Amino acid sequence: MEEDFIFIGIQLLVFVGPMVFFGLIIGGTVEKRHFRRLDALDAQYQDFLVTQLKSFPMSVAGESAPSLVVAEVVIASDYLKSWFAKWRNLFGGELRSFQTLQTRAKREVMQRLIKSAMEQGYNAICNVRIESADVGGATAERQTPMAAVIATATAYHTGRNL
Amino acid sequence: MIVTNTETVAGYEIVATYGLVQGNTVRAKHAGRDIAASFKNLVGGELKGYTELLTESRREAMQRMLAQAQQLGANAVVNVRFTTSAVTSGAAELYAYGTAVTVEPSV
Repeated sequence: MEEDFIFIGIQLLVFVGPMVFFGLIIGGTVEKRHFRRLDALDAQYQDFLVTQLKSFPMSVAGESAPSLVVAEVVIASDYLKSWFAKWRNLFGGELRSFQTLQTRAKREVMQRLIKSAMEQGYNAICNVRIESADVGGATAERQTPMAAVIATATAYHTGRNL
Repeated sequence: MIVTNTETVAGYEIVATYGLVQGNTVRAKHAGRDIAASFKNLVGGELKGYTELLTESRREAMQRMLAQAQQLGANAVVNVRFTTSAVTSGAAELYAYGTAVTVEPSV
């Protein structure tokens, strides 16, 4: 009887231990830090004009012609997120843990677009398109869930802030 | 070469259209990168190896597309689109396509 409890205890330790450690502690910290970084950069990019219109709103002739900007990002899930998702899958409903993962990927890729446009001297992007990318069979039965996105936009000069 | 993902280019006029140009590539990272990625899946965070893979593939595909456009005598590619598909585990296909045109600054 006592041995049974010890056995169950060891099992819990082996399975739940790493989950709590990798997911809750490290994964949680990584996610929190990422969101903080995203918030800080969002504030910095406030004046940058971002639209998904095809028509260059408020464009002016700049020193350079409009140019394509592309950004991509792949973000891994963590142990706890994947574990939660597996349970959610049994009962159905919203997979909250993966929703935040996708949000992070989309916000990150957006900021990379803006950064790349800014570095080339542009002050606006239009026709933003965000697509999910497929790296090595994210759709196949694989054990490593991840959020992979690729975004494109056209950078140009706007006279909005002049 | 002017490249945009819009149908027009602000400040320019399209004077000739040559048709579709395309480029694709299938690339993979070495196995070490795949193993590192599977570890990263315990703790979360960006999979830099796979981000790099996408960036490299995108550059390669775009270069091939631009080479085609150059051969046609175009000076711009408009309405560029990218699509990806997974061929096998750890490999990504990136396909870039657009319309090759000649543009002139509008007066």
